[in-house]
Amino acid sequence: MSERDGYTTTVQSIASGGTGGEPTAVDTKDGKIVRIRPLHIDEKYTPEELADSMWELDVDGKKLRPEMKAAPNYMALAYKERVYSKNRVRKPLKRVDWEPGGDPEKIHAENRGKSKFVEISWDEALDIMESELKRLIDKYGPYTVLCVGEDGHRESKDLHAGGGMHATVMNFLGGYTRETRTPDSVEGWYWGAKHFWGSGFNHGGGLIAPPQNNYSNYNVMKDVSENADLLVFDAGDWELTQNYASMFFSRVLKYWEDLGKEFVSVDPFCNYTAVCHKTFKWIPILPNTDVALDFGAMYVMITEGIYDKEYIDTHSIGFDKLVDYVLGKEDGVPKTPKWASERCGIPEHTIKAYARNLCKKRASHVHYSSGSIKTPYSHEPGRTQAYLLAMQGLGKPGVQQLHLEATNMGKEKLAQSSTRPFSMLNHCRMFYPSGQSLPRTAIAEAIRNGHVEWYGSPCIVYVDTEEQFKKFTYPGDPKVALMMAQAMAKRAGTEVPTEEPKISPIHMLWSEKPCNMNCWNGGFEFQDAIRSPQVEFFVTNHQWLENDSLFCDLVLPVTTCLEDDDTMGASMTVGMRYAGYTPHACDRVGESKSDWEIALEVLDRFGMREKLDYGMSTQQWLEYGFNTSQLPTEIDWDTLVEKGIYYPKLEENWRDELPGMRGFYEDPEKYPLDTPSGKLEFYSQALADHFPDDKERQPMAKWIVGGPAEEGWTHDESLWGERCKKYPLLVTANPARFRVHVQGDDIAWYREIETTKVKGSDGYLYEPLWISPEDADAREIEDGDIVKLFNDRGIVLTGARISERVMPGSVVVAKGSRVDPIAPHIDRGGAINLISPEETVSKNCKGFVVTGYLVEAEKLSQEEYDGWKSEYPEAFERAYDPGEGITRDAWVVEA
Amino acid sequence: MKGFLIHADKCVGCHACQIGCKDEHCGNCWMPYAQEQPESGQFWMKVDQKERGQRPQVKVSYIPTPCQHCENAPCIAAAKDDAVYRRDDGLVIIDPVKAKGQRQLVDACPYGKIFWNEELELPQKCTGCAHLLDDEDSPIRVPRCVDNCPVHVIEFGELDELDLEGAEVLHPEYGTKPHVYYKGLPKKFIAGTVFTPADEEIVEGAQVVVTNGEQTYTDTTNSWGDFWVDDLPDGDWTVTITGAGKEKVLNVSTVDEDRGLGDIPLE
Repeated sequence: MSERDGYTTTVQSIASGGTGGEPTAVDTKDGKIVRIRPLHIDEKYTPEELADSMWELDVDGKKLRPEMKAAPNYMALAYKERVYSKNRVRKPLKRVDWEPGGDPEKIHAENRGKSKFVEISWDEALDIMESELKRLIDKYGPYTVLCVGEDGHRESKDLHAGGGMHATVMNFLGGYTRETRTPDSVEGWYWGAKHFWGSGFNHGGGLIAPPQNNYSNYNVMKDVSENADLLVFDAGDWELTQNYASMFFSRVLKYWEDLGKEFVSVDPFCNYTAVCHKTFKWIPILPNTDVALDFGAMYVMITEGIYDKEYIDTHSIGFDKLVDYVLGKEDGVPKTPKWASERCGIPEHTIKAYARNLCKKRASHVHYSSGSIKTPYSHEPGRTQAYLLAMQGLGKPGVQQLHLEATNMGKEKLAQSSTRPFSMLNHCRMFYPSGQSLPRTAIAEAIRNGHVEWYGSPCIVYVDTEEQFKKFTYPGDPKVALMMAQAMAKRAGTEVPTEEPKISPIHMLWSEKPCNMNCWNGGFEFQDAIRSPQVEFFVTNHQWLENDSLFCDLVLPVTTCLEDDDTMGASMTVGMRYAGYTPHACDRVGESKSDWEIALEVLDRFGMREKLDYGMSTQQWLEYGFNTSQLPTEIDWDTLVEKGIYYPKLEENWRDELPGMRGFYEDPEKYPLDTPSGKLEFYSQALADHFPDDKERQPMAKWIVGGPAEEGWTHDESLWGERCKKYPLLVTANPARFRVHVQGDDIAWYREIETTKVKGSDGYLYEPLWISPEDADAREIEDGDIVKLFNDRGIVLTGARISERVMPGSVVVAKGSRVDPIAPHIDRGGAINLISPEETVSKNCKGFVVTGYLVEAEKLSQEEYDGWKSEYPEAFERAYDPGEGITRDAWVVEA
Repeated sequence: MKGFLIHADKCVGCHACQIGCKDEHCGNCWMPYAQEQPESGQFWMKVDQKERGQRPQVKVSYIPTPCQHCENAPCIAAAKDDAVYRRDDGLVIIDPVKAKGQRQLVDACPYGKIFWNEELELPQKCTGCAHLLDDEDSPIRVPRCVDNCPVHVIEFGELDELDLEGAEVLHPEYGTKPHVYYKGLPKKFIAGTVFTPADEEIVEGAQVVVTNGEQTYTDTTNSWGDFWVDDLPDGDWTVTITGAGKEKVLNVSTVDEDRGLGDIPLE
């Protein structure tokens, strides 16, 4: 912290990905933020002082090193709009027609998403929390409380982080039902590629990482810089996705362009990376047909003998089965480039060129969690893309998989993994098992049917592939719950319980991430479930009044990361990782409290506060967190407090660290994979043994298009089934350029950028529907029209943006626009995930499907618009801010 | 004399410059340099976007555009009571007190970079963040758009210290002598993928000659069969593609737009 002339300047790690971002300097005056700007690192340290912390790449005399001005994510630079958003929750809010007590006549469950809110005091809010928790626990047992959102609000916080503080509270109160975050943005890798190449990053994430290195990737960026000729962006839009944490990757791309690398983007959309870099070649592909492209490319590689045969011989098993399938010996259908072209829409000659370029050049694949990896049957593209990497000789110099968790630039002495923060203090019970759990993808099903069965925990990381073979049920088994409680009590050294807990279905939801309907799949079905009187009480902790909070009964206002005293650094997707001391930059907005503080307040009502905070102050906690980390070996607390930021020193020999999968490439016996054979398994015997009848996820990836439910298919979301006759367009729903997931949709400075929203004839800013000129013409849609985008799950309204950037046959709607309900299954906000399938990846894979499914687009007629307006007048009369759109004022009334 | 040098071809479209301007001026009053900018609707710095070409040869150009700080500033001429003045360092400033009610200034700017603040009845525009330049204690001494850019698209400094060789200005025909210079402004491109339909193969090494009789540009197709001829002036061109023992001649106009020719069969 520094002061001058009435200004206070603090260093802040503002990043909507939750893992911290490149540092900003926040100038504040009289408790109010004046500006948020990139930190000039040399205001804190001289280059000499940082010499041992700074990596440097040197390729052909061209150098890349961290700059002395940080590159914060552009979301951070607009964060003043988030802190002072008109959409901030300032005081606790209670839904006007909901009363505690569980009486169906008084909870008006059917009005969730319709009735408004009144402000109440914290005392009243805590009275409700106390009385409802006591009542519900007494009536049903503590497992009736579903704790939603172990990934939290995704702001970057440490002590004050949300995403499991409710579970921490409930653990003291006897238990809870855990909503497990299903592995998101890694579906194809998680459910598919793990059976091919093993666990992946953080022991379970599915994107490749060497097991011998604590499942961490180091020096992948270095290897790619030094050795790759070609970078294939199969599913990733770096310029956009980096906004998770930094703008560092724009600098890296410039460096690679300067080194003369080639870039190819295979994407239904000419994405934000491909359009701004002259060097990028765009290969348009129909959504979720990547498997066809991959098999077509494999056909060329096999028939021309250009793949790395020696590597396949020594590093894999089951390749003969793949050859039989690709050449058509198995099913009589050779997967020729022509066959592939008819399915994926890429010309045959380009498929051949793709195959040859992959083999003849040193090519790395960049995957940043978009496109086919979140589609129906995503385990198939997850596997075929991994197969391609294998045929190129994965781990060879310049042949790597570059992904979110493979971006560490230089291994630090204190690094525990390539993603773990240097100190971690939060008390959220993230990733802890519980006696009763539900995958996030199955909450609506659980409320609706009262019973769910599935395979796999599923936890996003720290989970063996084997777990996908275990069956789980909801409601949980009290015997199992007791065993788990006993095991955890023994490990924690607390009193070991002896009685089986009372397990019951869920009747209360407590969310620290109120965007399930908009971040996950089957949003409209989730809304239906929440409108059930079985949900007696739904409370959210959140900073902004949006999405799931519009459907809840009580909202507890949360601070933003700029309002807490905390210790937040950055641990991934930044140029240099760091530890931070981040005191509050500004006064708190309204009466907001952090999730940590809310947990303490609730526990106070049960006389248990000290069980969590041990009577320690915030400052004592922050110092304690520092002291229990490895940081004191390099810096003392007072210096960290004074500087606000610390860049740990690199290992002296960081350059010698084996890059990515190099160890496996050089010596697969010494550096085996954690697959059953230790090698790449084109045919997974484990899948064959456990799911012999699964025609959707077979032991080896296939071209799977699905079909009717009565024939046992989970999905009919392709252009080769029945549903496409009614809904002929495949939608791509990637993250937005100017949001991070659902965050930042209220930022007026972004909304006024012409590509962010489309102003309808009624003045409302609609979420853009990117559509090709051909598909727009066929539907008589003109640029700027209000367009109904729909399927049998419902309707979302959008604004037409006709563009050459879109592959015909597909449309693009960015994910994460805020929900703005007109009526059940009709939404004005354009929250695309509302019409995504409730059905998960495939029969035995409980992951989400949020892109690559069928829709139809139609210009909204004035008649229909007027009809809705007269039938649902309140939906059209909500207060609307010309800059920020629907805000708190639309939903809060005077008491 | 100070000015800007903007490297348009380096811009990645993140809009951090536009956001930095908002962050500095929305909700902050920097009198006597500037009144607060409203939360939305004004663009003292705007990234102008333009989609170019046709699928699959598509690009978007991003051109950060502030007030041009013209030497012959039409706004100065249009102002009453010296409400717009030019500082010794060349920055053109609207005096927020004297300019109250002077709506004609909005129309005076041919670049459309003066905005009307309805509430304050005030014309407003970019100040070059003069309040930061003049404050010796300020942690940053350049306009916010410059400081915010992660990839060094925008330079600001003494004009005689900036490398202006080959630089251009926007709309020189306005004759206002801007102090905002550009490099890498988009011209037009002609691009395509060359293949032979008989065997469905791309053609690598095909010679591509683009000429209008006076100017000639050439390229050779790469391992994807692609050529990309860039920085063409507007005009009508003859494109001759020679490869795989065949030749193809196309007439292509870049008068209205860039031309992505898609997949071009050599038969």
